[in-house]
Amino acid sequence: MRLRGYRRGDAHLLAGPWLPGELLGLPMIDWPMLAEPTTVPAPTDPSQELCIASGLGFVRYTELDWVHRRARVEIGLHALHSLDVLLKTVVAHGFLTLNLSRLYGWVTPVLDPPTGLLGDVGFQREATLPESAWLDGRPVDREIWGVVRND
Amino acid sequence: MTEILRLDVEAAVSELRASGDSARGFLGLDPVTQNDSLLAAELQAVAAQLFSAGEALVGFAPNTDQPRQAYVASTSADPEPLRALLEFLTTYQRCTTFVAVVPADAEGGKAFEACGFERAGVLPQHRWQNYDWQDVLVYVGRADSCRS
Repeated sequence: MRLRGYRRGDAHLLAGPWLPGELLGLPMIDWPMLAEPTTVPAPTDPSQELCIASGLGFVRYTELDWVHRRARVEIGLHALHSLDVLLKTVVAHGFLTLNLSRLYGWVTPVLDPPTGLLGDVGFQREATLPESAWLDGRPVDREIWGVVRND
Repeated sequence: MTEILRLDVEAAVSELRASGDSARGFLGLDPVTQNDSLLAAELQAVAAQLFSAGEALVGFAPNTDQPRQAYVASTSADPEPLRALLEFLTTYQRCTTFVAVVPADAEGGKAFEACGFERAGVLPQHRWQNYDWQDVLVYVGRADSCRS
């Protein structure tokens, strides 16, 4: 699998029923009818790298910091197949193509994401932040998961 | 009770610059490696507000995903300026929880422990400083336990 750059024709992949900022944003089944879909803006400046996984969704390296060589990763998916291959590609693109040293992102445990797949590509739970996101009319805890390049 | 005084962006940047090493990692900023215009742009990007309290500098940035939470920072090991900031945030911004992301050897870390913050985790190799990787500590505090 390859990640490619964003084109204008990919705009429909940037909106969907995910919690904003989620490391592994899978479509939420019980997304309220009247709620606006979560939308990621098209890239306008070099402070972020927006990639497209063809047919699946987007991968966004945001809060890119070239001094500390790290980025926060957001993924938004419309289809659920080949998640393990996608995650491997995301880590390889961050470490080898962007030459970053650390990737991290937010995981919301109440959504029951497949954290085993994150663990398989090296992500570890690093911190738990209480009441850090708003979901279903109440604050929910969020975790920071990160992976550090060893070389 | 320590008085805190709100600073506009220009004054905040010059105070950060004057704080030097103790402000490294303050809300993710670094006045040693970033110039004034970049500091101002970063402060505005996260809608941060900074306050001076005597020699110390304290500040917060709202969590855009949860309006009752704020990221807080302090340049001093003295807990009093921080307590004044938490009081302000609880009363006027109605914050219920606070998060602090502090470099492992920063002065500010002691103030958070003194104010009743708890360690929520460590972000390994999150910063590059003085030719080496540096871990960053995450502290969390609650409005009902951190103000007094």
